[in-house]
Amino acid sequence: MKVRVKAFARFREILGSDLSIEVPDGATMAAVLAALRDRAGGEGDAIFDETGALRAHVILMRNGRRVNRNNLDTLAEGDEVAIFPPVAGG
Amino acid sequence: MLLERERERYSRQILLFGEEGQERLKKAKVFIAGAGGLGCPIALYLAVAGIGEIRLVDRDTVDRTNLNRQVLHRESDLGELKARSAEAKLREANPDIRVEALAATIDETNVRDLVAGADLIVDAMDNFPTRYLLNREALRSGVPLIHGAIRGFDGQATTIIPGRTACLECIFPEAPPGEVFPVVGTTPGVIGLIQANEAIKYITGTGDLLLNRLLLWDGLSTTLETFAVERRPGCPACGGEVRP
Repeated sequence: MKVRVKAFARFREILGSDLSIEVPDGATMAAVLAALRDRAGGEGDAIFDETGALRAHVILMRNGRRVNRNNLDTLAEGDEVAIFPPVAGG
Repeated sequence: MLLERERERYSRQILLFGEEGQERLKKAKVFIAGAGGLGCPIALYLAVAGIGEIRLVDRDTVDRTNLNRQVLHRESDLGELKARSAEAKLREANPDIRVEALAATIDETNVRDLVAGADLIVDAMDNFPTRYLLNREALRSGVPLIHGAIRGFDGQATTIIPGRTACLECIFPEAPPGEVFPVVGTTPGVIGLIQANEAIKYITGTGDLLLNRLLLWDGLSTTLETFAVERRPGCPACGGEVRP
């Protein structure tokens, strides 16, 4: 099934702004993150730490609502995932 | 009561929210944390909107690298305290309001006194540790906090009502790493004015606020989106519980 991923701020430059990612039926957020890790490749340091885990400050949204990175809910066809880092400047 | 010259000065916005709304602005006291990229447009627009009392705090002096975005400060202000520079411009912009500008570092020892008496806290800081401090003081005192932050062409904003909405630590449990951030002045201009607009709406009771909504501005693609955010159970700052 296909899941749409929108990246914002610096992550848009690394991942692209609007992606369609193919994940197996019954996949959870972990499958989306694995696909994003592959896509980011060498530029993924801003998003993932050395163990491949999402960096602690990164925000994930599913269908417009904030979700935990370890959320085990099954994704559905057409779900929209948003990923972005908070900005801190003033 | 509004003075005759105030009725004239604010006549175009009195058309929007009436003399009653204008009187609410006149009675309001707003604490603005920071007189930098966000703080300058926020303070200027709240001053000309007729906010009765503005308390502005910034510890820094004006540096030439600030001038691409911190629009209250000029070449002739280099080396001057930002608080003093901003105060002078705000007084010139609107002599009918009270401006109290303080050169201080906001920390655990003074945040309570700095916020005391304010109807609203506006976050115009450049770092998350101080933002978390403002958030905790908002929760302790019950005073709403209007958050904004920027980097590059990107920005975010949300309005926090203690006990009713997600707090800053519900939305951002972890601070992003500190850095010398790139920025073009239009980004804090956009986000600062969204924050000032929220402040005016909150005080006059007009429209729908950014409650439990995180606004993201992307200046490179000229898109603006809002996402639903919720109180986080077990949030160390607010406990994530909804007050009755």
